[in-house]
Amino acid sequence: MPGGRDLKNDILNSSLCTLCGACLDWCPYIKNLDDNLVITFDCNVAEGRCYTVCPRTNTDWHQVNSSFFTDADWSQEIGSCVKVYRAKSLSSIPGQQDGGTVSALLKTALEEKLTDALLLTGSRDNMQPESFITNSLSYIEKAAGSKFLASPGFRKIMQAAQEGVKKLLVVGRPCQIQALRKMQVSQADQLKDMDIISIGLFCMWSLSWEFTNYLQNEYPGLTIKSMAIPRHGVEIMTNQGVKTIPTAKVREFIRPGCSYCLDMTSELADISVGAFEAEAGWNTLIVRNSSGTELVSKAVGNGLLHVEDYPENELQLLKSASFNKKARNLNSIKELIANDAINPPVNISQYDYLEEVNS
Amino acid sequence: MEWMITAKEPGKTYLLQGNEAIARGALEAGIRFAAAYPGSPSSEILTMLGHVAKDMNLYAEWSTNETCSFEACMGASMSKVRSLCIAKQNGLLVIGDALHTAALSGCKGGVVLVVADDPSAHSSTNEFDARHQARSAGLPLLEPATFQEAKDMVKWAFDLSEELGQVVMIRGVTRIHHGRGNVTLGELPEQLKEPQLVAEWDRLVAINWFHDLMLDKLDKARSIFENSDFNSYEGPDNPELLVITSGTGWFYSQEAIDILNLNERVGLLKLGCTWPLPQEFLLKHLRQTKKVLIVEEIDPFLEQNVSSIIGHNPNIQVEISGRSEGKAFPRIGELNPDLVRNAIAGMMQVSYEAPTSIALPADEQVLIPPRELTFCAGCPHRASFFVLKQSLGMRPAGGLVMGDIGCYTMGGQRAGHYGLNSLGCMGGGVNMAEGLGQLTRFGFKQPVIALAGDSTFFHSCLPGLVNAKYHNSDMLFIVLDNSATAMTGFQPHPGISVTAMGEKAEAISIEKLAEAIGCQVTVADPYDVENTTETIYRLTKKPGLKVLILKRECATLVLRKGTRRRMWVDPALCRGDDCGCGRFCSRVWGCPGNIWDYTAGKAQIDEVVCIGCGVCASLCPAGAIKVEGGEA
Repeated sequence: MPGGRDLKNDILNSSLCTLCGACLDWCPYIKNLDDNLVITFDCNVAEGRCYTVCPRTNTDWHQVNSSFFTDADWSQEIGSCVKVYRAKSLSSIPGQQDGGTVSALLKTALEEKLTDALLLTGSRDNMQPESFITNSLSYIEKAAGSKFLASPGFRKIMQAAQEGVKKLLVVGRPCQIQALRKMQVSQADQLKDMDIISIGLFCMWSLSWEFTNYLQNEYPGLTIKSMAIPRHGVEIMTNQGVKTIPTAKVREFIRPGCSYCLDMTSELADISVGAFEAEAGWNTLIVRNSSGTELVSKAVGNGLLHVEDYPENELQLLKSASFNKKARNLNSIKELIANDAINPPVNISQYDYLEEVNS
Repeated sequence: MEWMITAKEPGKTYLLQGNEAIARGALEAGIRFAAAYPGSPSSEILTMLGHVAKDMNLYAEWSTNETCSFEACMGASMSKVRSLCIAKQNGLLVIGDALHTAALSGCKGGVVLVVADDPSAHSSTNEFDARHQARSAGLPLLEPATFQEAKDMVKWAFDLSEELGQVVMIRGVTRIHHGRGNVTLGELPEQLKEPQLVAEWDRLVAINWFHDLMLDKLDKARSIFENSDFNSYEGPDNPELLVITSGTGWFYSQEAIDILNLNERVGLLKLGCTWPLPQEFLLKHLRQTKKVLIVEEIDPFLEQNVSSIIGHNPNIQVEISGRSEGKAFPRIGELNPDLVRNAIAGMMQVSYEAPTSIALPADEQVLIPPRELTFCAGCPHRASFFVLKQSLGMRPAGGLVMGDIGCYTMGGQRAGHYGLNSLGCMGGGVNMAEGLGQLTRFGFKQPVIALAGDSTFFHSCLPGLVNAKYHNSDMLFIVLDNSATAMTGFQPHPGISVTAMGEKAEAISIEKLAEAIGCQVTVADPYDVENTTETIYRLTKKPGLKVLILKRECATLVLRKGTRRRMWVDPALCRGDDCGCGRFCSRVWGCPGNIWDYTAGKAQIDEVVCIGCGVCASLCPAGAIKVEGGEA
């Protein structure tokens, strides 16, 4: 098991870092400010947790699947799946995006005492994300809505463990859920007494914080309320109305590490939530295991969430979008290997199935 | 010791340090004014003069920089009192412009400038030969070879200065300034000269009309030097080898000639007056030999000037060796008795077996652990460099740190994680940063930081800061304010409320000064590693000039005050080598207070050196380091 020096060479210096935050706060070497995550001093530790939990180092997907997703169907596009719904919150929450499904689930989890605390990501001024742990319903509003800027929020899992939280609900990007599972299967001491429910978000990519500088330069004095990515581009809801940014422009700010991600739907989460592309005001909701089923059925039972069967044609579109991301990014990985640009720690052979489909 | 330099015991012999001898010589000369900026190996002179100033009825000050000190002496000279200025070789170059103009105006009351050279740069960034400045400016130059001479030459230099109406320079070296030897005291004056009214045409004006007059003064000095007792010859009438030497070279040469038993064959010519050279005295002895060896510290100054005399006297045919081209001696570094003995033995073709050096038995050698140059335990600079490395490491392209002169210069080494991208002279950092910071307009991306200590800030950073502010360079200027001129021994500076004579003064606030220039000033504590890391990170992201004062008192001052807190490692919490930090405290943080207990396999605090700053406690990932009274 390699350590910090390898993390620096294989991941950070190769721009593979996803800024999940899982490696932070274990040691004095890995530091973060804004969206920079670096190893500031030479770490001489040969074997490190940082490397083990990193979502960009080799992940044993079979081990994770057998630990957390025993009774689910599995597909190469969207992973383990008990049931797919389209869903929406029955009470509207200020700031919610699409159907408000995540907010409804969070509320349910707190009310039903399925969790003691929530790990959420809100925003400071001008979109800069900030993660926090809370057990207050009012904070759910503060975190509502998609962020699109990467933030290392999962460092707070360590904080929760130190504060003695026994049951934690986390909301995160696919890479963050991967890191969580790797923390769990590597049996980190700090986490062994903690039950964690995970809600994974759909994610195509996340953006560098430079994007906010771009917006400030482009629209001085702008205050950003939220951001959405409908099919025609990127929409920023601001105090000066809706600003549409061309997709090509936004792409310039995608974190390089996102180009090597093979997971659109947070396949390792208990529950995954994304937009429902066919109709506004709805979410796509994938329930992946029994703890996911429990939370969703309580949310429905309490009248906070409404779910419907997922239209078959939309499921095919979802799968094809997910597959395209995998195929595209697998090619990016292969290109880097071919150019000797990186020495990727990922075990490519686990993705053979993609290669078949790809060819 | 101050009581020795003020002792009214003429004829009595004391063991004096060279710096004490120089101070004593100045007191015997009846100085009323002394000024300097601290610089090793000469700092003790003004420290002592400051301590005795009131008793001896003179004024002494630690000036803000060397030019201030020298020109203050020139000012005092107008009233015909005697003034002593002291500098190290780097400081002499700060005086440079003033020195060249003073040579034109000359002086009224005697002005003697003592310059301490530092061959091999034991306590300097560079070795530099001060003597070139005397020649360049056109000033008479003396070089003491003994501690007695150090005292006597200073006294005589004042007489000479007044006789010529010219500044006189004395060049010492580390081994004279910091060595000790017997010095027989002379008389202290009964009456000190009072400042005289300056008459209407009693002016000190430097203008080129006086160039010729300045050269006349040099000619007069030369004729005086021809008969000076500070120059001497010892040896046979027709030596096979003539050794010409000045300063410490005289001791080394005497010893070598004795050991090699060459007293009948080798002549030793000692020069105390080295600019202008006593030409006739030299020619007399050059005519009697065929081979010449020049023994002198640092540059081939005598060698070139003696060669020039030989060049103008074609009847003299000698082979001359010295430091040029590394012929007889290495081109750089300090001389020592071995080098001189080997050079003389080689030129005389006598064999000499040096006694083999005494080797320690293998088991005793481990008693001397390897030690590196590092910051003291609890030094705020260690925290500052740690913070700098972290905050600049957070920037994708890193950042550049322009260093300056002070204890923090050691930050360029392992102690500061090799944290300096440049190092020049006093005040150089802010100026270099100003230049680089202007290149952002052409797309230069790396943040630029300049460092300066508080004493360096007053010494030479103000014009640079004004320049950077006026031209709004994209840079961060960090003042590492430890409220001390720590490197040279805690001499007062304008930010500290006391003078060289122990009088109260109103401290000047660096913060207010920078604000008055129009700078945005932030003050932070280097011990607060987490917040100060973010502060620097944020400041380097802002355009334009930013000033950050990292304020925390020098750890040695804390130690002296006796206010340190106890710290210890809780062995139950320290994870030892199982910790994922890999001995962070003793390996990376690197404070001498953090040590490793190899028996227990755990971290430990060396309570002898620890000052209880608490920074390592805030960095330990296991929270195993505890501070008396809780939070750091």
